[in-house]
Amino acid sequence: MTQTSGFLNRILLPRLALLLVAMLGLLYLMAGTDATLDYARCRDLVNRVKQLDAQWDTEILKARIALTRNYDPLVKPPQEMQQLLRTFTLIDPGQEHKAADAWKDRRDTLTQALSEKARLVEQFKSRNAILRNSLAFLPTAEDDIQHQLSELQDQDKLMLQDMSNDIYDLLLSALEFAQTTTDERAHTIELGLNQVMIDAQRLPPSFNEPVQILLNHINLILREQPKVNSLIEQIDAVPVSESLDAITDQLNQEQQQADQINQRHHWYLLLFSALLLVLLLYLASRLIRSYAEINRVNHALQVANTDLEQRVERRTQSLREAQSELMESARLAGMAEIATNVLHNVGNVLNSVNISADLVARKLRSSKTQGLAKAVTMINEHKHDLGEFITGDERGKLLPGYLNQLVEAIAAEQQSMSDELTQLSKSVDHIKDIVSTQQSYAGVSTMEEPLHIRDLLEDALRMNSGALSRHNVTVIREYDDVPRVMADKHRLLLILINLISNAKQAMANLTDRPREITLLVKAIEDSTLRISVKDAGEGILPENMTRIFAHGFTTRKDGHGFGLHSCALAAVEMKGHLTAHSDGPGKGAVFTLELPLKTAVGAV
Amino acid sequence: MMPRAPLSLLARSFACCGMLLSTALVAAPLDEPLKPLPDIPVQDPRKVELGRQLFNEKQLSRNNTTSCATCHHLEQGGADDKPFSIGFQGGSLGINTPTVLNAALNFRQFWNGRAETLEAQIEDVVASPIEMGNTWPHVVDTLNLAPTYTAAFREAYTDGITIANVQNALATYERTLLTPNSRFDQYLKGNTDILTLEEKYGYQRFKDYGCIACHQGVNIGGNMFQKFGVMGDYFKARGNPTEADLGRFLATGEEDDRNVFKVPSLRNVALTAPYFHDGSAKTLEDAVHVMFTYQLGRVPSTEDIRLIVLFLKTLTGELGGKPL
Repeated sequence: MTQTSGFLNRILLPRLALLLVAMLGLLYLMAGTDATLDYARCRDLVNRVKQLDAQWDTEILKARIALTRNYDPLVKPPQEMQQLLRTFTLIDPGQEHKAADAWKDRRDTLTQALSEKARLVEQFKSRNAILRNSLAFLPTAEDDIQHQLSELQDQDKLMLQDMSNDIYDLLLSALEFAQTTTDERAHTIELGLNQVMIDAQRLPPSFNEPVQILLNHINLILREQPKVNSLIEQIDAVPVSESLDAITDQLNQEQQQADQINQRHHWYLLLFSALLLVLLLYLASRLIRSYAEINRVNHALQVANTDLEQRVERRTQSLREAQSELMESARLAGMAEIATNVLHNVGNVLNSVNISADLVARKLRSSKTQGLAKAVTMINEHKHDLGEFITGDERGKLLPGYLNQLVEAIAAEQQSMSDELTQLSKSVDHIKDIVSTQQSYAGVSTMEEPLHIRDLLEDALRMNSGALSRHNVTVIREYDDVPRVMADKHRLLLILINLISNAKQAMANLTDRPREITLLVKAIEDSTLRISVKDAGEGILPENMTRIFAHGFTTRKDGHGFGLHSCALAAVEMKGHLTAHSDGPGKGAVFTLELPLKTAVGAV
Repeated sequence: MMPRAPLSLLARSFACCGMLLSTALVAAPLDEPLKPLPDIPVQDPRKVELGRQLFNEKQLSRNNTTSCATCHHLEQGGADDKPFSIGFQGGSLGINTPTVLNAALNFRQFWNGRAETLEAQIEDVVASPIEMGNTWPHVVDTLNLAPTYTAAFREAYTDGITIANVQNALATYERTLLTPNSRFDQYLKGNTDILTLEEKYGYQRFKDYGCIACHQGVNIGGNMFQKFGVMGDYFKARGNPTEADLGRFLATGEEDDRNVFKVPSLRNVALTAPYFHDGSAKTLEDAVHVMFTYQLGRVPSTEDIRLIVLFLKTLTGELGGKPL
């Protein structure tokens, strides 16, 4: 039950909501393109085109009855219609595919109708112009002849009268023909033309030209008037207005369809909105219910979180303690190393102190001063006759010689003892030195102080001096001229003592070549201080190379595997590093310590 | 005789109506079949300037020898003085160059009206194998090589140098080439004293004799087609028929359009000799005579011609404020 409701809540409902929103968005977009305005604009445009067409027709009729003689008004309407129709294409609302063909059809019909009408109107303009010209000229042409006729004196008056009437009749029938164009009247005109032509033959040659001019114009009227009339009919028959109406119908039809679709969309919109509302209400109630649950869980989570934090805090604390313990033991181990060295050295020196003291004691015990005591006793026995004793007595004669010898022996003895004591006091000084040196490094030094590396190396050597001399190790010093640097004296010394001691021990079993330790100090690019300790000892196996600095690694029976490890740690603590290199077993090893070179201020 | 009098009287009084009205209302514009030129339309000055440069640009022709201005001398009435103009390779066009002045007001372009717009006319001339012998893509390529044109086009048009923009610039410039303020236009606008009596008579005869049947409207022509030789066969009389004589037939192929031409504008006509599509009339008098004979079917008197020519000379306007 809970599973199905969870599925319903978590998956089905959000998707349903999303679907509804998408549907609404789609419907909104579809309804958003409000076509009503487009349709209104299109209809307005079609109406304007229709008006222009009507205007065109009016102007054609005005030209037809010679009301205007300016043909500009016949040029403008079609141009404006074309312009309007070009914009019509741009706002064409017929977007649906099924209507596209119908639209193309409607527009093609209109375009055809318009171009046909334009063609006919052009013909009409040309023909109408000359027709109007001839009609206007006709009375003048007739007048010219009548005038000439009236001036004829020596002709038959009756004939002239007939002739005049014939011409006048012809004029009238031509003018009537212009008003009412029928075949009958055309026939009448043709008869009149023949009559006038026959008449003209009886007139003097001077009449030829004016009569011919009149006849030409009448012929033109006879020819052009039916054409103009038929053009007017044709123009009238061109279905411009009808095709415009068809477009309007199409517009209306499409708008109706669009309206229906729109209405349907509105219904859908309403329906989907209602559904969405119900869904949202349901979701809101679910939300309120789950809010409490969330609060509860949140609280529990917070409690758990606090607990966790405390535990982490505790764990961190113990870790920190463990670390400091480790550090302390490392430090103590280092101290032990130093102490061992110190005690060795002190022990060695104490040996010589012992010997010296022994020697002095022995010398004192066998001192020649006892001989002096015997001599003095002898002198005391001969207090009264000292002179005689010395000059006369056998033994007394020897006394001055003896005393002289004694003085020499005592002086020699004194000298020897004094020498021995000097040696003794030197040894004691040496011990003092060793101890004070050790003491100066004993504290946990974290401070950097200005120091000379070579002095430090010498200190380290001195602390190892007993062992070094015992093992017949030669120390080769290759010190570059390095300025006074800022360094952690204690850590540096720990490292150096360890390295020197290791080097010494590495050469303990060396018999085939001299035991040599090379100490090298070098500044690299003014940024790094390099100190290396090189021995000619047993070397390092390649497989040990990686483990050599690991805690607990040693190759010695009595080693605890702490020295190099603590050295490496100390090097890192000083922001440097310690590396080892060996060409292989039996080929010696180089331990190189590299530290950032910090020249001491005011370094000399 | 009696019944005839009222009819001819009626005709005459109708014809005189304009004159009577004009004397009655002095300052008011006259209501005539001829109309004064409209104001020059406001155009983008950048496009106009570009059009002016292109109008004088010889690179429009294939061999860089011929510009629009080669045949259309603006200061000489917008045409040249040859019967037939010469194309880019020296070939004869076989037709007289119509004026570019006021051409924007013509309802079609070319003698046979084959171009509906100025742009179409420009397109045709540049691509004509005799006139400029170029292709439009080549024109665009050529102009693209000139930094001044690329810059000017980019300023005037968003899409730079295109075929349509080159044609539009030229057409825009040509729309400014109107010649307002001719003495006759001033007369039409109400300043009736500006014409001499003889010129007014000339205008009167121009109307009475039927010239106005075709030469009317704002451009005094240029708004309809007409057959050359309504009242007689002009071409037979002239002889040597040419292809150009076919007129609008060349554009439509319709028999009715044989020898039909666009009625040319008469504005600045005094400056555009020789006349007609064949350049056959050397003087205005010749031209008026031909028109009387073949179009009106009348015999003009010397006085008629003199007066009408006097009137025609009042149609010369101003270009850019300067009298032509």
